Amino acid sequence: MQININNLSFAYGAKTIISNLSLTLNSGDYLVIRGKNGSGKSTFIKCLLGFNQVKAGMIFYDKVDITAFKSWTRFGYVSQSFDDFNYEFPITVGELLQISSLKKTNESDRLKLLEKMGIFDIINQNINSLSGGQLQRVFIVRAMLNNPEVLILDEPTASIDKQNKIFFYNTIEELHQAGLTIVLITHNDDIEELNYTHLLSMYGDLTTSFEERGVEVKEGVL
Amino acid sequence: MFLSFITDLFQQDFMLRALIAGIMLGVLAPLLGTFVVVRRLSFIADTLGHFSLVGISVSLFLSSIGIVTFFEKPLYLGIIFSIIGGLLIEMFRRSYNNFQEISMVIVISLGAALSAIFFSLSKKTGSLYNYLFGSILTVTNYYIVLILITALIVAILFILFGKQILSVSFDESSAKFLGINVNLFQIVFIIMLSIVVSVLLESAGVLLISSMMVIPVAAGMKLGWSYKSTLIISIIFSELSVFFGLWLAYSLNIPSGAAIVSINIIILLFVAVIKKIVLKSRIAKMDKIQ
Repeated sequence: MQININNLSFAYGAKTIISNLSLTLNSGDYLVIRGKNGSGKSTFIKCLLGFNQVKAGMIFYDKVDITAFKSWTRFGYVSQSFDDFNYEFPITVGELLQISSLKKTNESDRLKLLEKMGIFDIINQNINSLSGGQLQRVFIVRAMLNNPEVLILDEPTASIDKQNKIFFYNTIEELHQAGLTIVLITHNDDIEELNYTHLLSMYGDLTTSFEERGVEVKEGVL
Repeated sequence: MFLSFITDLFQQDFMLRALIAGIMLGVLAPLLGTFVVVRRLSFIADTLGHFSLVGISVSLFLSSIGIVTFFEKPLYLGIIFSIIGGLLIEMFRRSYNNFQEISMVIVISLGAALSAIFFSLSKKTGSLYNYLFGSILTVTNYYIVLILITALIVAILFILFGKQILSVSFDESSAKFLGINVNLFQIVFIIMLSIVVSVLLESAGVLLISSMMVIPVAAGMKLGWSYKSTLIISIIFSELSVFFGLWLAYSLNIPSGAAIVSINIIILLFVAVIKKIVLKSRIAKMDKIQ
């Protein structure tokens, strides 16, 4: 899927968060978005996913304007610390995945995914008894269940330990190698460990820079 | 006393009707209650109940001025108004995205005010007590058939859309990536809930509907280890409270809705205390081992 963003601006009330951001991503690209807390990373993702209504600028998916775009199943999304999910109510990993696989997924593919992500053994455990690392794996599997083309992850390494982080980065790399488009938000400085193809830096003062690895930096507009 | 209750249960028609109605509502209320609790909308049933009461009061008012429609049975207008109330909540919920409980306060206040106005205009304020507190002991065969139809509608909706409704309930923002039309399912859910609340109103009363839906789930959550087990435990608690509530109402001659809710609360407290004791003894054991 090709993603085109043209002069995107976004404000909460009078406070401008994003100003004139433009970029293009093609199928199989791996975009890392980095920036400090409050620099507008999550706001940008919410615009991309249609949660924030874009008032200035345009977003196109395969040349379809976001306001007319309907094929959201082509996206997989893991939100920041899974804060949109009510994981205080009892539900097992298995039940969660069952209600999340609405399209008929190939059972052996599903089992392979569970095995690969190391959550096969916790399938009958209550979600609220899992560690941060386990929860993250479960939510990645959930996002992958319906075979999306683009996987968007909002600060996925914020609440996990180093070992889980390495496992996570390797998994994302494998998914990228398999042809998935990845958009990963981070405020960590460990981006050198990532094999990204594109980097969007958000500096927190409305300036941004978007660069393709190995290609000259293109500065954002104030 | 208990034996005479059991024999009367099968000899007195009104008792048997109350038991049958209670058993069906005992499944329906916590089933919908789990969705409501997952979505952190525990007050929604109360709010819809108040709007259902508006429908009832309007219906009584219309018949008092000689307008007899097919709405002659107040319950039907109750269902329609409850759905309107639900849609209003959704509308306000969107405009106060970060203060969703405000939407309930607006709708519940409007419901209470309109009900008071129409009850007073219809000059039937005497019947208000029954609608506020309900009485399962006076239910008719007609009402039982209505509960049965409601249960069938809920069952069909649940079989067809249960997965989707659960997905939206647990995580509204991710549901669209599963191909779910979130807005459509909010409406299906609100309609389902409005019908159940209006039907519950007759036996539990406006003030006690929420308790029948939410309290068994609150107790079930303390013991459940999965969604399924929590739902089953909630239904068991709900049925126990219906049965023993009826017994209490029969023996002490007190309002049935109040008796059922009291038993519900006793079960919740009992479960909470036992769970605390078990957890404490487990921690003590672990401390000893260390």
